[in-house]
Amino acid sequence: MTATLTHTPAEQALIDALEGATGWRAQLREATRREGLPTRRHELWKWSDLRRAANDVTAPGRITVTGLDTPITDGARIELCVAATAGASAADAELVIPAGAKVTLIERYSAEAGALANWHLGITLEAGARLDRVIIATDTGDSAFIASAEIVLAPEAHLHQRALDFGGRLSRIETHVTHPGEGAEVDLGGVYLLDQGRHADSTSVVHHTGPGGVTKQLVKGAAAAKGHGVFQGKFMVDRAAQQTDARMTHRAMMLDDRAEIDAKPELEIYADDVQCAHGNALGALDETALFYMRQRGIPAVRARALLIESFLAEPLDAIADETLREDLKAQLRTRLEALS
Amino acid sequence: MLNIENLHCQVETQEGEEKPILKGLSLNVPAGEVHAIMGPNGSGKSTLSYVLTGRDGYEVTQGSMVFEGADLSELEPEERAAAGLYLSFQYPVEIPGVPTITFLKEALNAQRTARGEDEVTAPEFMKLIREKAKQLGVSMDMLKRPVNVGFSGGEKKRMEILQALVLEPKFMILDETDSGLDIDALKTVSEGVNALRAPERGMLVITHYQRLLDHITPDVVHIMANGKIVKSGGPELAKELEAEGYDKYLGEAA
Ligand SMILES: Nc1ncnc2c1ncn2[C@@H]1O[C@H](COP(=O)(O)OP(=O)(O)OP(=O)(O)O)[C@@H](O)[C@H]1O
Ligand SMILES: [Mg+2]
Repeated sequence: MTATLTHTPAEQALIDALEGATGWRAQLREATRREGLPTRRHELWKWSDLRRAANDVTAPGRITVTGLDTPITDGARIELCVAATAGASAADAELVIPAGAKVTLIERYSAEAGALANWHLGITLEAGARLDRVIIATDTGDSAFIASAEIVLAPEAHLHQRALDFGGRLSRIETHVTHPGEGAEVDLGGVYLLDQGRHADSTSVVHHTGPGGVTKQLVKGAAAAKGHGVFQGKFMVDRAAQQTDARMTHRAMMLDDRAEIDAKPELEIYADDVQCAHGNALGALDETALFYMRQRGIPAVRARALLIESFLAEPLDAIADETLREDLKAQLRTRLEALS
Repeated sequence: MLNIENLHCQVETQEGEEKPILKGLSLNVPAGEVHAIMGPNGSGKSTLSYVLTGRDGYEVTQGSMVFEGADLSELEPEERAAAGLYLSFQYPVEIPGVPTITFLKEALNAQRTARGEDEVTAPEFMKLIREKAKQLGVSMDMLKRPVNVGFSGGEKKRMEILQALVLEPKFMILDETDSGLDIDALKTVSEGVNALRAPERGMLVITHYQRLLDHITPDVVHIMANGKIVKSGGPELAKELEAEGYDKYLGEAA
């Protein structure tokens, strides 16, 4: 078969940027060559149109990652700064968390206006390893920033992930987890807060392949007028993954009638003895509570911020590192006060 | 202190229609006085409390409401609060995720800032709230819980008065603060309210029952029916109502 696809300037720029690349970046190049950038026609991109979000990208750009030289040993704190310039770019890395080691991984994303940035992590957790992963996507406002991770756990390994996303022209945090059960545990959580014109997409697939796996997921979000939040969560449970206990919840607040929030929680279960559940709830700001607070003297803007904060903060409360937790909550607060 | 003249107010129903509720209500509460309002269900008592405090959807179509010389209809709800207007809600609202103590400190300091006063410091605030909580028999444990979440009906009412003791408003509207209170709680809460009685303070006490007025003796009792005050008198009016009901006033309101 010959490829007859005509590439957009952004697609061509990305293919050019990845000339001569190997590994995951070569796969990205070939996928882009073959199919172009994902649009809503792709099943996993139902509500996020990357081709459109990148329509002003015409040239290759650069993406730099610092912090990758930190040795991954027990107690390590790895802080990665992933920064993209305008233009199309991609970077990836592989991390192995050694057996029994407890490691904190912090990823801070930033991008210039007009960036189309792709960042991919392959992470292996060996037996009994624990990874606390915290993603801070608060500085990618005028760009398309796609972060994806492929995380494979060994038995007894624990993955605890939290993300804070203020969105961008398109911000996507995609997480694929292979969960072997047998004492392994996965806890995925996230918060998105979207001002005018911002788009954030949280997509995850947790594939349970062995017995007795425990998985929790709590994603909370809020979108102002013309903000667009997307949650796609999928739990797959193989026939061999009996006694899996997996719970997924997405709750979001529409701060304006012109906000859009789309959610697709999915369970795909082939085992018969499991406890799996998903919940999805969309609501609006409680006007009665808002009036009650204002009646007590709290100005409307502050009352609104307090109410939204108390709704959103829950997933962040579970971040073990106190400084980090308070830093993220402070960022959330500041953002809320500035919300239009 | 509070002067309401010929007030007409309408609410927007869920079907989007305008429904008149207050139909020419006049009422004057001078500083230092406690006025009670009694009236049948649906006569517009809570509506009056909401329109005075500025709730969205309650529109004044005619008349005026003036508080210490200021036209209330020109002030936002938080500005009315800072000016000293306090409503003890008939149905206090739950605010998940916001601890009562945080909420109250935030409210007190917001009011103080709006009035150009210094904020209270954390230790000052803790001292204040401990003292008031003790006065009302509220545990510090309860104050750490989110505002009204999971509180019993009576606990919520007690909390409304605790908030008033902390905020020390100039004018209090108590909307059926007695409903849901057991006999002992009614006494504690009434004592809390009486402690706030002062020559520079006014109160409007909405109630269905004489038993609250046994504890908080009003200077004037008003009967409200169909969106208007239809009769005013001394404390004996409440006793008469208890004996005879509203029948003879309903005709006059139509
Ligand atoms: N948003 C609304 N939509 C439609 N009707 C309303 C609305 N708000 C109030 N009303 C109506 O206005 C009337 C007055 O209500 P209000 O709550 O003020 O009565 P009340 O005197 O406080 O009664 P109660 O003694 O039962 O507390 C009632 O008939 C009520 O149904
Ligand atoms: Mg009422």
